[in-house]
Amino acid sequence: MSLRLKLLLLGLLTLALPWGGCRYARQMEAALREGEKNSLQAVAQTIAASLQGRTDFLYREGQEPAQTAAPNQDQPGTQRASSDQAGTEEPQPSPYDLQPIVLSVVPYLDGYGDEWPRAPGSWRYFTREGHRFGILTGVNERMLYVLLSVEDSHVVYDAPGASPLDPAASGDRIWIGLQDPTGNERQFFLAPIAPGSTPARRIETGEYGQQLAVEEPRVIGALQPNAKGYTVEVRVPLSMIGHRFGVLIDDRDVRGATPVSYGTLRSDDLHTVGRLIVSAPELTSYLAQFMQPGLRLAVTTTSGRLLAQVDALAQITELSRQRGILASFYRRFVDRPGDRKYIESQAPIYDRDHRSIIGTLRATETSDRWFGLRDRALTQMLNFTLITSAAAVTAMFAFAAWLAVRLSRLRRASESALTREGLVTTFPETESPDELGDVARGFSTLLGRLNEYTGYLRTLAGKLAHEIRTPLTIVRSSLENLETEGQVPAAARVYVERARQGSERLNAILIAMGAATRVEEAISSAERSRFDLGPVIASAVDAYRIAFPERRFAAELPLEPVVIDGAPDLIVQMLDKLIDNAVDFSPAGATITIRLRMESHLAVLEVDNPGPPIAPETLGRLFESLWQSRRSSGESDSRPHFGLGLYIVRLIAEFHGGSASAENLPAAAGARFTVRLLRS
Amino acid sequence: MKRQVAIVEDEPAIRDNYAAAFTREGYVVRTYSNRKQAMAAFATRLPDLAVIDISLEEEPEGGFELCRQLRALSAELPIIFLTARDSELDAVSGLRLGADDFLTKDLSLAHLIARVNALFRRVDALRKPHETSQVIRRGPLTLDGERMQVEWEGQVVLLSLTEFWIVHALARNPGHVKNRQQLMDAANVVLDDNTITSHIKRIRRKFQSIDPTFDAVQTVYGMGYRWVE
Repeated sequence: MSLRLKLLLLGLLTLALPWGGCRYARQMEAALREGEKNSLQAVAQTIAASLQGRTDFLYREGQEPAQTAAPNQDQPGTQRASSDQAGTEEPQPSPYDLQPIVLSVVPYLDGYGDEWPRAPGSWRYFTREGHRFGILTGVNERMLYVLLSVEDSHVVYDAPGASPLDPAASGDRIWIGLQDPTGNERQFFLAPIAPGSTPARRIETGEYGQQLAVEEPRVIGALQPNAKGYTVEVRVPLSMIGHRFGVLIDDRDVRGATPVSYGTLRSDDLHTVGRLIVSAPELTSYLAQFMQPGLRLAVTTTSGRLLAQVDALAQITELSRQRGILASFYRRFVDRPGDRKYIESQAPIYDRDHRSIIGTLRATETSDRWFGLRDRALTQMLNFTLITSAAAVTAMFAFAAWLAVRLSRLRRASESALTREGLVTTFPETESPDELGDVARGFSTLLGRLNEYTGYLRTLAGKLAHEIRTPLTIVRSSLENLETEGQVPAAARVYVERARQGSERLNAILIAMGAATRVEEAISSAERSRFDLGPVIASAVDAYRIAFPERRFAAELPLEPVVIDGAPDLIVQMLDKLIDNAVDFSPAGATITIRLRMESHLAVLEVDNPGPPIAPETLGRLFESLWQSRRSSGESDSRPHFGLGLYIVRLIAEFHGGSASAENLPAAAGARFTVRLLRS
Repeated sequence: MKRQVAIVEDEPAIRDNYAAAFTREGYVVRTYSNRKQAMAAFATRLPDLAVIDISLEEEPEGGFELCRQLRALSAELPIIFLTARDSELDAVSGLRLGADDFLTKDLSLAHLIARVNALFRRVDALRKPHETSQVIRRGPLTLDGERMQVEWEGQVVLLSLTEFWIVHALARNPGHVKNRQQLMDAANVVLDDNTITSHIKRIRRKFQSIDPTFDAVQTVYGMGYRWVE
């Protein structure tokens, strides 16, 4: 794993920052939610307290009507005795009580119930002798709306033109009974003569005792037949209604027949039985003053019936509108399933004496309010941490890359420093004040010492040769004197001869040892000239054919001139060494191939010889000074082998801007020595 | 009258061996181990030939200084450097100071004596009237074997004894390739390739200093050298 990758991974750890941020945001949200809940509770309690004892606000009649009337005989029921003091005790609901729902849309009075909300739980059903009708009441502003769904197999209309009071002409009839605010019972009826709008009438007794059906314009009704029977819509101003309200259906199958009467009015005198539990009209406007976007306030009866409600939940608040793409993206990480979208709080509304509960205030708030707040904080925080993380990762990556560059520069320098026999004079990074600089300085020092040491080693041979030469001269001159004096006994001559031969060999060794130094000197003083390699090599090869009759020489030379800038003497000397080497390691009769070719800006000289392959581990060291690993396969000869030959080859190749290398030929066919020279 | 050879050498064993060999050859030998001693003696009497080592006791280059001083005393006195040093630079310096030859100590005594004899012959020949029997002429080259003197286009080319013998070996049979061994034999020396090359190079340079177009010594790559007319 590279340094770069490691640091990158380390940098990724900074991503824990946004993660922690998300957790923090969640906690913050929980705290916010708690605080919001508390404040909502406080709001609810405040409003509830402001409504304490205001039964008149909650209920139209100033107090929550207790169960007063006994049920009519048709509708038996068990009712607890009502308390004298209304509102002091929780009243028992009566089956005839009507609790209108709060309508947000004004129904269009056309006899169709399309505009009414679907509120299955709010329908009340009344039955008698197989007849059945349902009633749904609703309040909007200061109007009471009644929706009746009557099941009637025969819808019978009044005879047109006939008096509505004529019993013979009477069809189905809908009675509306109410107790007006003064406590008087009043009745109205709808006597439809056709589908559609139908006026409401009341019966008045005339001056002479005659009964008149007077149209009551404040009450509006409409009827439409349907598959099961018919639907009736009625609107009554709440101002007309006191405590009680009821509906009675007269169902006739034939015009003028005796009706089946059932409903929430007493069938004998049409007096009301059930209450109309509806809030005071002022309650809504009272609640409205507490409103703000995203909030819903509702007042319910103790039984949970909604009395009044102001709803601004859907209103988009300033904060929640700012939710951007990033915010919604972040929310996916922060939000947990099951988070409720709303918070709710409720507070009981007590009576004046704080003894009993007359209603409940329920406050609902959309979470958008604090979500918006949280989102803004979250977005900012996440943006910040993400940018920080990205910056940190980028910085680490860049730093790692820079380090890697420096390290690889150092590595390249150290590699090339070692391969070039300690010729390094400058080393990168040594000026850096950091640890890498220390390493580089360490390297530099080491290489400096290595340089000194290799320098010492290189000159060692020359120095040794010089030091040995003097005692050797003593030996040789003494031996020569001994021989010329002629005083050596015949028996001892052989030893003198051996001593002389030994000293000759020693001398040859010394010459060989000094050869490298002399080549270096020759190279440094060599004169360059431009010449064609081809004829020089051809001429040399001719000489080798004479010098080494036991080997065959094949020369592969290009036809075009291969011009280099250098010293032909040195080139020939280099070739001599290569050929010496090839001859040494090839069997008698072998063919040594000398090949010259051009390769872009280089002249490539190859010498192939059959023979044993070179051990791979020594391939790279063959051209070093005094390196000799290969044993000559040829017959033993007295020439000293110091591994200087190939070193000289390298020196000369380098003098010509080139390099020397060795490789084994495929299929163990021998060895190839290649010298590359810069062409001019 | 016996000729007097001075040997300036700080290594007693070598000095004495050389002295013995020269004495055996009939020379009078004077030996000195350092420059001061030698100069003190040379001030009263010059030897007929001096064999000088380069490094002399405390002076690593004392031989060079001695050579300079000797040459100042006498222009004709044959001076041979005989040293354990074999660097090209030393050889060039020594010969530039006017030494007649620059030899390394791996030279055998017999070869050394042959050289000394040759130098004395030259001294003798220079004193005698000019004889033409030993003179070889090859175009602009005049080569006097007796005096060991070479002229190119009538001008004397100052060659060391080794160089003279190399030129002599080449010019005697123009066109014939002489390999390194043949040249070494002719010059009575044992030299390696690079030393031969530098001798050839020096020879060419000396001729070229007289005639920049000089091109008579030709390299036959891989074989040796030949004289081309």
